[in-house]
Amino acid sequence: MIESLFVLSPTGKVIIEKHWHELIPRRVVDYFNDQVSKAMSAGEDVTREDVLPIISTPKYQLINVYRDGLTYLSPVTKEVDPMMVFEFLHRIPDILQEYFGQVSETVIKENFVTVYQLLEEMIDDGFPLTTEPNALKEIVPAPNILNQVVAAVGAATSVSTRKMPHGMSNLPWRKAGVKYSSNEIFFDIVEEIDAIVDSTGKAVSCEAHGNIQTNSRLSGMPDLTLSFVNPRLVDDCSFHPSVRFNKWESDKVLTFVPPDGHFRLMSYRVNMPSQQNLPVQVKPSINVGANGAKFDITVSLRNTDNKPLEGVVLTLPLHKSTTTLTAQCNMGQYMFDPVGKVLRWDIGKIVPRERAPVLSGSFGFGSTSSEAAANAGYNIGVEFLINGHSLSGLKVDVLKLINESYKPYKGVRTMTKAGRYQVRA
Amino acid sequence: MYNMDAYLKTLTSNAVKLTKKIRKNLDSKYEKEKLDGLKRLIAMISKGRDVSEFFPDVVKNVASTSLEVRKLVYIYILRYAEQEQDLALLSINTFQKDLSDKNQLIRAMALRVMSGIRVPVISPIVMLGIKKCVTDLSPYVRKIAAHAIPKCYQLDPAQKDALIDIISTMLGDNSTFTIGSVLMAFNQVCPDRLDLIHPQFRKLCMMLGDMDEWGQITAMDLLLRYSRTQFLNPIGKTSALTARAKKEKSVVKSFYSDDDSDVSHHSSNSSDSSSDDENNSVDQDLAFLLKCALPSLQSRNSQVVLSVAKLYTHLAPAEESYKIGRPLIRLLRSHRENQYVVLNNIVAIVSQRPYVFDQFYQYFFVRSTDPVFIRNLKLDILTMIATESNITFILRELQEYVKSSNKDFVTQAIEAIGRCASNIPEMTESCLGGLLKLAYSKSESVVAESVIAIRRLLQQRPDDSIVLITQLAKAIDDITEPLARANIFWLVGQHCSQLPTVAPDVLRKAAKSFCSENEHGKLQILTLGGKLVALEGASSKTINLLFQYVLNMARYDLDYNVRDRARFLRALVYGDQKQLAAGDQDAEAHENGDAKEPSDHMEDMSGFEYSEKGLNLSDHVKAILLSEKPAPIQENPSHGREHYTVGSMSLVLNRVVAGYESLPEWPTVQPDPSQELAVGGGASRYDGQAGTYRGAQTLDKFLESSSEEDTSSSGGETDSDGSEESSEEGSDEGSEENSGGSDDDEKEEGKKGADNHEEEEEEEESDGSGEGSSEEEEEEEAILPAASKRSNGRR
Repeated sequence: MIESLFVLSPTGKVIIEKHWHELIPRRVVDYFNDQVSKAMSAGEDVTREDVLPIISTPKYQLINVYRDGLTYLSPVTKEVDPMMVFEFLHRIPDILQEYFGQVSETVIKENFVTVYQLLEEMIDDGFPLTTEPNALKEIVPAPNILNQVVAAVGAATSVSTRKMPHGMSNLPWRKAGVKYSSNEIFFDIVEEIDAIVDSTGKAVSCEAHGNIQTNSRLSGMPDLTLSFVNPRLVDDCSFHPSVRFNKWESDKVLTFVPPDGHFRLMSYRVNMPSQQNLPVQVKPSINVGANGAKFDITVSLRNTDNKPLEGVVLTLPLHKSTTTLTAQCNMGQYMFDPVGKVLRWDIGKIVPRERAPVLSGSFGFGSTSSEAAANAGYNIGVEFLINGHSLSGLKVDVLKLINESYKPYKGVRTMTKAGRYQVRA
Repeated sequence: MYNMDAYLKTLTSNAVKLTKKIRKNLDSKYEKEKLDGLKRLIAMISKGRDVSEFFPDVVKNVASTSLEVRKLVYIYILRYAEQEQDLALLSINTFQKDLSDKNQLIRAMALRVMSGIRVPVISPIVMLGIKKCVTDLSPYVRKIAAHAIPKCYQLDPAQKDALIDIISTMLGDNSTFTIGSVLMAFNQVCPDRLDLIHPQFRKLCMMLGDMDEWGQITAMDLLLRYSRTQFLNPIGKTSALTARAKKEKSVVKSFYSDDDSDVSHHSSNSSDSSSDDENNSVDQDLAFLLKCALPSLQSRNSQVVLSVAKLYTHLAPAEESYKIGRPLIRLLRSHRENQYVVLNNIVAIVSQRPYVFDQFYQYFFVRSTDPVFIRNLKLDILTMIATESNITFILRELQEYVKSSNKDFVTQAIEAIGRCASNIPEMTESCLGGLLKLAYSKSESVVAESVIAIRRLLQQRPDDSIVLITQLAKAIDDITEPLARANIFWLVGQHCSQLPTVAPDVLRKAAKSFCSENEHGKLQILTLGGKLVALEGASSKTINLLFQYVLNMARYDLDYNVRDRARFLRALVYGDQKQLAAGDQDAEAHENGDAKEPSDHMEDMSGFEYSEKGLNLSDHVKAILLSEKPAPIQENPSHGREHYTVGSMSLVLNRVVAGYESLPEWPTVQPDPSQELAVGGGASRYDGQAGTYRGAQTLDKFLESSSEEDTSSSGGETDSDGSEESSEEGSDEGSEENSGGSDDDEKEEGKKGADNHEEEEEEEESDGSGEGSSEEEEEEEAILPAASKRSNGRR
């Protein structure tokens, strides 16, 4: 049972609270804040992310989710499946994002009433009730420019004329009576590579996951069938509730009545034939001495379909005792954050068959340097994206529509990017 | 309400003004102004302020024509009704009227608010409302009605029986939208009335995949409990070994391929007789549940996936459980909080069935960005799933972690290497090699940890450790970390009989550095000396002198533990040498007078005196000092989680949380649902029948809608089922005869109708199954119809 929710600002102040069952006193929040600061003072490299998601106290179990600076704290008194609570707590910012375009302290404060109404609808007496964005939008109207303007101008009459929508559609994820003048649906196939590459360039662990982000702007109740040229490439899928499992099992096609607006149609794992498919190779070499180290990092392209690599950023967290850093690079620009001890190299775009970006330089440890600093290993985080390329080669074949008479416009985009991609030096 | 008072004080005048303004707004005749006032109030509620003083002003607006206004009024009433019970009653009338509104949303909202007002007086009215809405045409309203049931129960527990009646009616609901909430109400109000589930079991299994995600979670909870009380244990009939063999066989097939999701198929393919036995032991209905739950592994909701894993862990035979591996791994890509829960559950699953995850070892490799709690769990899992085939990769990875700049992490990684080595005896050699290399590392903590790990390992296998100990003993000059040195001294002492040349030399070096050791080091040096002297006796003068030297150093040590140990050893080893003992006693007395020793020292003294009286401890010096020490059991930090239900909070916290109920044990005899029904009251039996009938209807709908899938599977099923059924029904016959009451017959008549209807359907669907067989079934059912009450849904 999910009993209460407190949304806390980055400083630990309550922005909004909601109790679905019985009132839980606010001092729980004070206790929670104490625990968080206690946990964070335990070590110098402990961050807010290291705080346990469930803090156990004799009476309450403080289940908390930390996302985008806000803490969603739900104290529970009784046994409950914690995963369900986490899943639900993560739905809240998802829904707020859907409603307001962004989630922050200010956004919540500006929309207290809407947020409160949403929370009211999402849970009934401790149990999730309506969590589909489409269904919620039927019950709690999202703010749009029109009614904001109306409110500003003060056209009081329009308020009473707005009626409660009649149709709860039979499909909980789609609202009834949707109308668009031009019917279009967009599929974004985004594949992310998670890899750990060791210093010799060999992938220790490597996997890729894709998901299909969809934006549906179709009228009525369209029943879609999406087929792929090469569906066998994907494995271990999970689907939006609208997708019929059986059809996928038997025919490897996706049949579904889409929700209106943005949703994630499907996510899947890519069968990686070999680790040679990594699109980029980062070759770091760091020679550590007693007082500092010399390093150079080379980035070269591999297997990108002749597409350029964009948004390439390398981050190298350095040892805490590092004080000075000098470097030069032939592309992009680097930045050393002396407080967080992070070297960030923003390369930007790398075009195939052009010179490989190199960053080289040296850094020195301060007077407090210990032997531990000399022995520490280094990890380079890598970010990049490739437009128009999918690692798996998954291709959409046809989109068929039944139930409606119009012919929809279908847009498909593919993109490959780095997920949790890490190179050890 | 932080700073509330201060805030109010500074703003008193403003607050009064505001109050007046809100009052005026609420009384206004314009909707817009009312709305404005209400919005202010709601905003204040959400900030946690107490605005109950406005209750009379707000409740006036409950019948407002504007829906906007009304919704906000409802929110306000829900929040404060408990405090203002009398005033809240004023609003009830409106809700009752709204229950007949044309708009389903308004009907639903009215019931929701009414049941949410926690005023016990109105419970009969809520009851009426629920009864009215249960038969509503809109599934949404019925869903809300189901949600109102536990609320009504909390208001007035005396209504329980009436509410159970409603629940049992609603269990017959065929809307996938509603049923999840009904099951939730069932779990809240009458979790023990599992007899109500009998007629619905197969229907619930069928609907499982189509319920909304939260409904699936509730349903699987219920079905798990049901299965644990109604079926015999299919787990544990196969040993882990065969399970692993099986897994390897089936993993070759594609993961979700149709045939291997069907239990009976699985068996019919394999020829060896033992596996056939196993499959007979899985109840058909249970197998059906497991099969129906399988597609939910593809849900986007992590808890749904975890719930399926829960079913498979607690219900499925060992060779089935590998199916949950891959989907649980997928959840590791989710938010870190979810990862935390999944990893905890994987730890619990792995400690019972490590073969589910051993091929996925690389997904548990730690990233430098992983939060601490994730990192630790991953390390635990890695050590638990290590097998001969993956250990080399895991070890290489663990050695990589030792380079981390985080000390705790390094410590844990080394510990993990040690645990891996002790889990897999074949790999101990190479693990020890790796650890030994680490013992020469520059980092002190690494050295300490690795020596400790080596010591633990060597204790487990005392036979062939001499070479390693010699190596460590040689390294003692380079190793500065006190803890590491202490461990080496202990090791040398323990094995000194096998180290005739090395051990005395170590003692020599130790004596030289005695003063610079820390407490642990000194204690271990003393023990080492004592052991050597005990072993060699007085034969070696050098050793004796060395030991004496050490003892003398220790006598004047600052730490009383060290002094204590020295005195004890002196008495023990040299106890029978009178003059030494006398000298020693002098010293003791002197020391006792001087140094304000704690009084418990006297115990040692008295022990010494006993020995003089005849119980001569020193005769047993060797036995005391050189006894075999039991190897420490290396307990995994996450040990104990496997006792809890997968997915529960108690499992994550590794302690019992309030409200946790462990799963019921499997029954030892096959329970007979028909008997339970006969015992139950008249009402439940009636409902049972109704439910069956409706269940059959859904079934037909399902068959129509997903005919393709059914034919494909049913064709195969009937083939393999044939033999199983005959044996199963043979056993049922016995129980059936026992329970042949007249009540039963009546019910059976009703059921048979449904059965026949079913079978016709089935025949049309699957031409493959011979007519003869179905007639046979019909005949059998005529003899023993209630036996397969649950299973009639499918036949």
